[in-house]
Amino acid sequence: MTDALRLPAEQTYAAELEALKANDGAKPPGWALSPRAALTYVMGGKAQNGVAISAKYVGDKRLIETAIATLATDRALLLLGVPGTAKSWVSEHIAAAVSGDSTMVIQCTAGTDENQIRYGWNYAQLLAHGPSREALVPTPLLRAMEGGKLCRLEELTRMGSDVQDTLITVLSEKMMPVPELNTSVYAVRGFNVIATANNRDKGVNELSSALKRRFNVVVLPLPDDMDQEIAIVTKRVGEMAQTLDLPAPKNVAEEVARVVAIFRELRGGATLDGKMTLKTPSGTLSTAEAIAVLIGGLSHAAFFNNGKLDAEGVAPNMIGAIVKDPVQDKAVLEEYLETVLKKRPEYASYYSTLLDLV
Amino acid sequence: MAADVRYFGIRHHGPGSARRLVEALDELRPAAVLIEGPSDASDLLPLLNDPAMQPPVALLAYAADDPARASFWPFATYSPEYQAARWAVRNGATLRFIDLPASWRLAPTAQPDSPPPADGDEVTANVEPETSLTQDVTPSAPTLEQDPIGALAAAGGYEDGESWWRDVVEENPEPGPIFAAIADAMSALREAASPPEGFEAAREAHMRLEIAKAAKETEGAIAVVCGAWHVPALQAKSSATADRALLKGAPKQKIAATWAPWTSPRLAFASGYGAGVVAPGWCQHLWDAPRNAAATRWLARIAAALRAQDHLVSTASLIEAERLAFALAALRGRPAPGFEELRDAAISCLCFGEAIVWHTVAPLLLVGNEVGAIPDNVPLAPLLEDLQREQKRVRLKPEALERELAVDLRSESGLDRSTLLHRLNLLGVPWGKLADAGRSRGTFRERWVLRWEPEYAVALVENLVYGPSIAQAAAGRVSARFKDAANLQALAELVFQSLTAQLPAAVETGIDLIEKRAGQTSDCAELLSSLPALADALRYGQAREVDASQLDALVKRILIEGALTLPYAVRNLDAAAAAAMRGVLTGANNAVALLELTDDERTTWRSALHAIVNDSHAAPLIAGAAARLLYTAEELSPDDAARLLSRALSPGKPVTDAAGFFEGFFEGAGETLIHDHPLRQAVDQWVQSLDGDTFVAHLPLFRRAFSNLDRMQRRRLLDALFGRVSAGLQGRTLAANAEEIWPAHFERIVGILKARPADE
Repeated sequence: MTDALRLPAEQTYAAELEALKANDGAKPPGWALSPRAALTYVMGGKAQNGVAISAKYVGDKRLIETAIATLATDRALLLLGVPGTAKSWVSEHIAAAVSGDSTMVIQCTAGTDENQIRYGWNYAQLLAHGPSREALVPTPLLRAMEGGKLCRLEELTRMGSDVQDTLITVLSEKMMPVPELNTSVYAVRGFNVIATANNRDKGVNELSSALKRRFNVVVLPLPDDMDQEIAIVTKRVGEMAQTLDLPAPKNVAEEVARVVAIFRELRGGATLDGKMTLKTPSGTLSTAEAIAVLIGGLSHAAFFNNGKLDAEGVAPNMIGAIVKDPVQDKAVLEEYLETVLKKRPEYASYYSTLLDLV
Repeated sequence: MAADVRYFGIRHHGPGSARRLVEALDELRPAAVLIEGPSDASDLLPLLNDPAMQPPVALLAYAADDPARASFWPFATYSPEYQAARWAVRNGATLRFIDLPASWRLAPTAQPDSPPPADGDEVTANVEPETSLTQDVTPSAPTLEQDPIGALAAAGGYEDGESWWRDVVEENPEPGPIFAAIADAMSALREAASPPEGFEAAREAHMRLEIAKAAKETEGAIAVVCGAWHVPALQAKSSATADRALLKGAPKQKIAATWAPWTSPRLAFASGYGAGVVAPGWCQHLWDAPRNAAATRWLARIAAALRAQDHLVSTASLIEAERLAFALAALRGRPAPGFEELRDAAISCLCFGEAIVWHTVAPLLLVGNEVGAIPDNVPLAPLLEDLQREQKRVRLKPEALERELAVDLRSESGLDRSTLLHRLNLLGVPWGKLADAGRSRGTFRERWVLRWEPEYAVALVENLVYGPSIAQAAAGRVSARFKDAANLQALAELVFQSLTAQLPAAVETGIDLIEKRAGQTSDCAELLSSLPALADALRYGQAREVDASQLDALVKRILIEGALTLPYAVRNLDAAAAAAMRGVLTGANNAVALLELTDDERTTWRSALHAIVNDSHAAPLIAGAAARLLYTAEELSPDDAARLLSRALSPGKPVTDAAGFFEGFFEGAGETLIHDHPLRQAVDQWVQSLDGDTFVAHLPLFRRAFSNLDRMQRRRLLDALFGRVSAGLQGRTLAANAEEIWPAHFERIVGILKARPADE
């Protein structure tokens, strides 16, 4: 066993990848698996030799098909989505399946500069011997180009637009010029880029249309199945409560169901029975936020409410998640309370608490 | 039988099988072409080759005595039947329909509740007008007979029969002898299925007999074009006597048949047409585009549609989209990209992953908006016949001169007349115009002005595309207008019109649409402006025996939503917007007065009005109007109102604001001032506090507020102001003995009033 807290996907799922490699069909150059086997690896199923493959992503198969087909055409892939829709998770697993290596990652931030995208210099070498290939420090992107692997760019829109645009040549001409050495690095077959970005946050650096045009975009949606989402939330809340040493009251499951139901109705713009359309608030109301709301509720229950989890502990956090715009969202919530929750006896405590808070 | 009979099992509206069929016909050169379709309408077939005939069109057969019982057989350019008929006319081959005569379907006794269990190659318009297009084969659980292709596709590992057929027959570049292969596959399938019964058996027996008859009469090859499912049954040996036995008891029903223009959306499976296609636009494209360029051209069309909506789509992106589509088809094991692959690629490359952008162009591309055209020499349209029948039934004659007609909605004949006139109005045939189109709605009496113009006949025939009878056409036309209605008010008015025209299904659709729209909009003015029409609809619905409970709940919901957003909606309005909003507010308030509401709901509305009055950001005009509404509803006591007025009109307020409030409060209410002393005082003080210039600036405003007082009232107001006599009669006092002399006076007055004038 290893001491590492978490291993990369290709090590954790090494057995499944091996099984899929057996009797695999035709592969694009530089790929570890055929596109179809890669699809099976992500969506789950059975390998040719009968080994069961676990599902890494639960959702629309067509999206993953588009993602993998995109990489097969040597176009770059951009995974968009609101926070908490498994973008990075999918990108890691696709990288593990396609090139057997998911470790070429660049985490883009506002502080990322060109040297972290293209190459840096070993200044001791540079001073001692002048510009030379030995003095060049490759970035994950450059190493992926040279090794014919996939490079992952996390949160692409977080870095400045000027830095983003250094990718344009790499994506369209598959080469990185090194003017200091009067040479260029040409990408080996199998190289490609998977970027992830958040399409909800405002105020980040929008991709320039020149760069955007070089990506095929796949938008990962929020879960569309209620039970599935409840299961995800319950599981994550349980895990987090454990790490935070919060006791879990008995009625967690019921409160999870209620919170998820309210979140889904507001997010989806319709009641769950489909009988009434609703307005949606400006916030995301993602699964991740539902988890945070319940963790807040658990903490309130543990420290201020003798371990009882109820609407009073959960509601204040819900307001925070729902009302992001004080005027518009408040009206939306008021309307939801009056037209929907008021008529549901099982939500009476949520109705009264939320109404008081609004 | 010496004749060479060939069977071509096709898929209705399959461009691929149409293309293969034309190739096969060119090769075979048959002397007769027999097509699956009602044999009593064969005469109409050659018209298909008329240059003025532009598909989509539909063969329309209806019971001669009742056009509401009608069936349609739609044809698109890419329908194999259409191509076969045109081929036959061009090449001088005998051309005939061989299916059971339409009279079988349209006989009144035959299955009154359900349409015949057809394989869905025609649309049955049953007696219920509005549901005619939605009750055919349900797409949810098709049986083997209804969807033989689905069973084959499942065997081939496909999820959906449509894709399988496309890949194997219509999009496979190397298909081989497909008609023989399809016949084999169908034989295998039919062995597994139960033998046909009743109507289906009769249809196939009739087709067999017709084929045998044609084989006797014809020299040369015969081509039989029918749904793939029927091929094995038609090839089977069956004795003519047994077949004739099946056809015993043919219903006696006189039918009439004609061509009607059709629309591409109604060829779509989603419209409820069982043998429809998922994407008529795509089929049309497959038919029009050269085989090897179909994908590229389709993407180009997507790009054109996106550019028309101001999206930036570069040629380079198109290249990438096509590459992605081919990669996806390979990944999914398809021989060529189908519209799913092209759609996924277009979303990813052209719409930057946003499916919503795709959905803005998808309906136009996938479904299309073509409307067919028919030549002038086709037989008379059933709508005119229906109109004549209706006129006879409700005893109204078309007259060219204007005539007034009062109808009493409580009597059946009155209701029928009103319904007919309302329906014709919906169809753009304003034979009758409502004379009192104003406020007397919702009562049981209507006054119409009738006048028939010859061009109405033409206008009526144009509606054939919506349905064969007046009721069906009206329902169809309303549904089409629902789709175009941009806001709640328009929807609400359409619902009201459908109610008066007695189209319950259209009313239901409309209510559903309003519900959706009300959920999406947050525009308070839009919500409230729909209330008057909806309140009318509710009241009218009660007079017209329509179940209004759903509408009732909806109206209340819209009221509450509107009330909640109202205080925010009246802030920061300019003069024009405020004036419009005041109209909306008053209309909504009138509606509230008419509706049967619980106290709770009324309170919500009133508190919204209170919130406006007390909100310093609210537009002054609206605040004034809200205060006035509350005052008239006695929600605001005179003292409160006076306090409010003096506050709103106090010197500290900007004069324009005060004037706005004044106008809002007093518009058309000058008389209130005569009687309301505290109110009058508050106003008086404010007017006197104005300096000369400001007073002059506001004169038009005062004139407007007091303009609807007559001279007498104005004098009484002035008298009251100057404190002369509160009763208003200047310089008179009550006589001391008034009480005693009054009875005598009264008698005299009564005598004068009762007296006849001298000249009578």
